[in-house]
Amino acid sequence: MSEEKTHASGAVEPGDTSTRVGAEVIRERGVDPEELREKLVDAIGAEFTTYYYYTNLRMHLAGEEDYKEITEDARLEDRAHFELVVPRVYELEGSLPNDIRDFADRASCPDAEVPTPMDDAGGFDTSDLEVEDILEVLLEAERCAIRTWSEICDMTREADPRTYDMAQRILNEEMDHEAWFIELLSKERDGEINPAGHFARGEPGDAPYTKNNPFNDSA
Amino acid sequence: MTRSSTDTWTVTIVVPEESSVDGAGNTTEIEVRPDETVLAAARSAGVWLPADCQQGWCTTCAARLVDGDVAHPNARRYYDEDREAGYVLLCTAKPRADTTVVVDQYDDFLEFRAANDKPPGNSKRNR
Repeated sequence: MSEEKTHASGAVEPGDTSTRVGAEVIRERGVDPEELREKLVDAIGAEFTTYYYYTNLRMHLAGEEDYKEITEDARLEDRAHFELVVPRVYELEGSLPNDIRDFADRASCPDAEVPTPMDDAGGFDTSDLEVEDILEVLLEAERCAIRTWSEICDMTREADPRTYDMAQRILNEEMDHEAWFIELLSKERDGEINPAGHFARGEPGDAPYTKNNPFNDSA
Repeated sequence: MTRSSTDTWTVTIVVPEESSVDGAGNTTEIEVRPDETVLAAARSAGVWLPADCQQGWCTTCAARLVDGDVAHPNARRYYDEDREAGYVLLCTAKPRADTTVVVDQYDDFLEFRAANDKPPGNSKRNR
């Protein structure tokens, strides 16, 4: 008898599968789980588009193997961030947009395009493309991500420890990425030594914070 | 009218009564340099306004300009229609006159963008 289940309390009726206690406990703590979920979709839209755009940016760092390696770490880790949070969107009864164009349009950060116009043949006009311009795009993309995940940390702190845990792990790596690109851009553009304090990941895209605990393998 | 980077414009920030932002119903005046964004100046002055990307893209910081003038030299997604309708993005908006803005207009702005078939309007409204 459900009346005898001492753990069954709150507004969700015993056996009710139409409502999730995992969402209602967040609401009880003052955060709208639907609003949070939609913000997560925007945030992982940015991680996904960044993963795409960083592919192009990395390609165009031609001949700069150290820059390419760092960019690859950031690229793969941004994909890891997308993968980490996708299940949370579904837990909160959301979904990814069916149309990828909607996903890109609502991404919370700008498109990180190769900073050069297209030529008459539809390819990249690389005649005036400078390494420092690419590094600046990478840096500003990371800064946007830091702001986004900081907002989500603010929103979930003391209300949704599960999302907060994900957001703070991602934020750790985004801050690593900013430090990397500050170091590289400072040296490339200004000739200044501005150490990140880090070394390259052990393996490309190691994601030491967001993949160090593979609780998400079932996704 | 131009001013040096050390001069300031007075920006009046109106938080609507119905807003969920801290200080709902309050009106605050801050001084903002021409090379400074309204958002950054407000946060420095202790007025915590909503924002996310801070690159003039996501529109979280949307506000209505009711008086004065601002420029958006670094906004990544700001359209002529926005300006003509009196919407501004405070994260990239730099004052060019004494100015008054009504903040926390994100929901209305999404509807406006959707009606004008501009992102992220319909991509958010279709949810």
